[in-house]
Amino acid sequence: MGKYPTEPLKLWNKAKELRRQFYENYAQAHDKGGLRYAGGAWTFDAVPAGLGEDVYSLTSEPYGASCAYNKEFSLRCLEAAEGYGYARDLCSYMRNYWGSILINEYAFGGPFPKPDFIWQDHICCSHAKWYQTMSELEGGIPMHCVDIGVGAAPPFGELKPHKIDYVAGQILDGIDWMEKVTGRTYNDELYIEACWNDFRSTHTWAKVCELNQAVPAALDEKSLYSLYVLATLNKASKWCADFYEELYDEVKDRVSRGVAAVTNEQARVMSDTQPPWAFLKVFRYLEEYGCVSVGSLYTFGLEGMWDYDEDKGLTPRPMPAKRPTSREEATRMLVDWHLRKPEYQHFYSPEYKSRLMIAICKQWKLNGVMLHYNRGCEGLSLGIAENRLAIQEAGFPVMTFEGNMGDEREFDEARTMARVDAFMETLGIKRVGRA
Amino acid sequence: MITAGIDIGSKTIKIVALKDAKEIVGRVMILAGTDVKESINKAWAELEKTAGVKPGDLAAIVATGAGKGDAVNAQRTVTEVSADAKGANFLNPEVRTVIDVGAEEGRAIRIDTAGKVVDFAINEKCAAGAGAFTEAMARALEVGVEELGPLSLKSTQEVAMNAQCAVFAESELVTLVHAQTPKPDMARAVHNAISDRIVSMVRRVGMEEKVMLIGGVANNVGFLDSLQKDLNTTVIVPEDSESVSALGAAVLAAEEA
Amino acid sequence: MIEMFQEWYQARHEYAREWKKKNPGGKVVGFFCTYVPEEILLAADILPVRILGSHEPQNVTEPHIFGMYCPFCRDCLAQGLEGRYDYLDGVMIAQSCLHIRQAFTSWQKHVNTPWSYYLPMPHHVQSEDRAVKFYAAELNDFKKAVEDWTGRKIGDEDLKRGIEKMNKSRQAMRDLYELRKRPNPPLSGLEAMYAAVTEQWIDKEEHAVIVRQAIDQELKERDLGLGAKTRLMLFGSEDDDTGFVKMVEDCGSVIVVDDHCTGSRYFWNDVVLDGDDPLTAIARRYITRPACPTKDWPERRRLEHTLKLAQDWNAAGAIVIQQKFCDPHELDIPEQRRNLEKNGIKTLMLELDVTVPVGQFKIRVEAFLETLSEEDLF
Repeated sequence: MGKYPTEPLKLWNKAKELRRQFYENYAQAHDKGGLRYAGGAWTFDAVPAGLGEDVYSLTSEPYGASCAYNKEFSLRCLEAAEGYGYARDLCSYMRNYWGSILINEYAFGGPFPKPDFIWQDHICCSHAKWYQTMSELEGGIPMHCVDIGVGAAPPFGELKPHKIDYVAGQILDGIDWMEKVTGRTYNDELYIEACWNDFRSTHTWAKVCELNQAVPAALDEKSLYSLYVLATLNKASKWCADFYEELYDEVKDRVSRGVAAVTNEQARVMSDTQPPWAFLKVFRYLEEYGCVSVGSLYTFGLEGMWDYDEDKGLTPRPMPAKRPTSREEATRMLVDWHLRKPEYQHFYSPEYKSRLMIAICKQWKLNGVMLHYNRGCEGLSLGIAENRLAIQEAGFPVMTFEGNMGDEREFDEARTMARVDAFMETLGIKRVGRA
Repeated sequence: MITAGIDIGSKTIKIVALKDAKEIVGRVMILAGTDVKESINKAWAELEKTAGVKPGDLAAIVATGAGKGDAVNAQRTVTEVSADAKGANFLNPEVRTVIDVGAEEGRAIRIDTAGKVVDFAINEKCAAGAGAFTEAMARALEVGVEELGPLSLKSTQEVAMNAQCAVFAESELVTLVHAQTPKPDMARAVHNAISDRIVSMVRRVGMEEKVMLIGGVANNVGFLDSLQKDLNTTVIVPEDSESVSALGAAVLAAEEA
Repeated sequence: MIEMFQEWYQARHEYAREWKKKNPGGKVVGFFCTYVPEEILLAADILPVRILGSHEPQNVTEPHIFGMYCPFCRDCLAQGLEGRYDYLDGVMIAQSCLHIRQAFTSWQKHVNTPWSYYLPMPHHVQSEDRAVKFYAAELNDFKKAVEDWTGRKIGDEDLKRGIEKMNKSRQAMRDLYELRKRPNPPLSGLEAMYAAVTEQWIDKEEHAVIVRQAIDQELKERDLGLGAKTRLMLFGSEDDDTGFVKMVEDCGSVIVVDDHCTGSRYFWNDVVLDGDDPLTAIARRYITRPACPTKDWPERRRLEHTLKLAQDWNAAGAIVIQQKFCDPHELDIPEQRRNLEKNGIKTLMLELDVTVPVGQFKIRVEAFLETLSEEDLF
């Protein structure tokens, strides 16, 4: 019997089913006369929802991760992309994705389903280019991409009206464009509903993560990945928003009863950037030390919406006071909401991310931090070396390990486990076994 | 009370026997070879022969090194990071930065007054190897590995060599050879390149005096020279730089016993 | 006078220090990317200085920038950390790629340069009207920041002055490049590189004078025997590796044109006032200039521009100078190469680091030139 009671999450199977359904819906969209599109997970997926209730998406990054999870399949995809001429140090999600198209195999079975249009956001150097290439590989697909590089949000920078105008303007142009491309009439009611679901999903996800401040932690990061992914698939959907509300209730209950993710929890850490998807066993290995990764700025703040200030730290952003009533208003609200995302501010300075990470260390009561120097993602590894220095300076021990979220050839399992051992030794944490 | 530390590395196996946590009473180093378990037995036999110490005499044994899992008679294992730290601290309590450069891996460790690890860095993918790289360079220059260091001290001019990538550096060496660069200058360039990579890593944990260099490459006088120039300080190299990890393990064994 | 460019290149820091002595109270601002709107800095009589690396191995950036980012950005940061740019009063960047952004943000934190500015240059340049509107507003904020810092107002006349200086300098460089279209180019690629790179940190008027003099006098009738050499284009990411360029030409080629971050992209088009207010006109110039790959989407408009350069300058082949790990260019190069090859221009791909294996590269360049001259026989 371990230190704390533990039990599996009741909603686990539902989460898996929702994910499975999402990927199936995309593949089968045409069968029922529906539409399908592809684009980034960061993206404003609320917008295409205005085209109808039978519009399904394939979001790039989670699909890349799904490819990476299957080592054999991933290797074939990566080699295909390299054979086509693309360099190995490019974003590994992207290479898996292109490879999947080149070998014409969908990670979930069957041929790769070609999207009707591309609806993308440009958050890093590669994002728009990803789909530029995808369109070329598929013989040409209509594409619209929204640039969001307008500067940091409060409290780090000011989101002046002209910044919102620029992003909102591109979205409104996109709506006109998608009407032309699909031949459908845009439905503002559906759009407004989708925006509101987006706010609900991301607000509630933050609340779920906040619950993990409890000792023992009700959820471990490995589980968090399987739950937060739903927002990366379709945060603007009713099913995602509803699920997170159900999830919140279950996790709240777990916390009230002191139910732990790791029964022998004696130490808490957080990670950073996407994990090496083919080696999630690293998190199981931590459990040998009674060490639980309670999350990260990545799991909390990529799809969770938070407010941050120096005194209060991170708190879930409250829902907007009232629903938007017009297309323009919904667009501006959506843009403002997403530009304030915590896992976005680092694009303007590592300083901002460091402050957010240090807040997590304090509020989630961490013993240390494990940074994944992720060779597969320039965007999320941006400034990570400076984050390391700042977190150390704030008094929290940090270890680093090099790897790649989507290219398992760049992850050295034995070496990484050895580093974890060394880090645990420096923290004075001894092995206690998993149960 | 005698304790021992055994360091099962990729190339060599080292054992250090320590009496009352104070006095080194035995020291062994043999090649690991391909049959590691057999070599471990040989190492213990060697210790018995030279120091009269048997595993059964020992109050505690701690194992470290890449092959520490094979040390059947050790009570526990520690990582090389912790072992290095303790070993360096034992040899000189004023040391605060330990640099361990072996055949495959380089480590930089900052330690406190008790030899506890404060921070550490291990060479990343981009700057792989040090010892192995020296061997490759020595072959390219057609000199013995042990000659490379003394040769570099005879250099009269600095020649640049890429510090980031070992593969690029090897390519550059070929260019220098064809340009008929004097061998001592090329040898020095090789050591400067390795030193640059190691120092980059040291800077991640920050250098604090005093600095100690251990591991196989510590005996390379050329590398030591480059390192001291880059860090702008005198670096301590203990007499038996390759067995400091094993010594640290022995110290840790004594702390537990 | 053409040697002037090489002298300036080799004594880059001395130039700025001298400038400060000659212009007491004058400010020098270091910048990281060619998207920086120098017109506004010039309007405030600031000397803009492009920060470049020194092509020397270094060991100081490891704690600040993860090794998977390009060597160029680390080399730039190293210059700051080593104190080589200690004469800078300010440092700034206009948003383009992620790699160089880290050189800037780490510089802000660890190098003692008093003033800094991050300018969000937009990426969706193909949505021209929206991007221009946005950028003009950002330039207005930037202008205000410069006014606050320098304590002097920047009016439309000042901006027009800055615009004129930049345009004149750019036109001079374009005219210089025009000479390289000749069957017997009067200057080598190396000499042109010195001229192009130094434009980025020498006072624009002073630089333009030397360019004009060279065009009008020295280069008028100059015969270096380059007519017999194989004509090449360089394209890709950043390149100011003079040793490399010299080696390529010593193999029997002449580089006649380029499309990279320290070459023609810097001076390709002018600010055109045409009824716009100065800030909008400046914004439009940067939005419509030959794009960095991070801004060349959804259409690949760079392909046409690069091909046209190769054709107009009659290049037989092109060398891709790919900075190791540079993602933006890695995303363009496969299609760039396919497009050039389809149009009869062979390409050679070389991956550059801070220092390069000149010997190994020489073999490849020689082999490449052989394949190009083989075509001529039939």
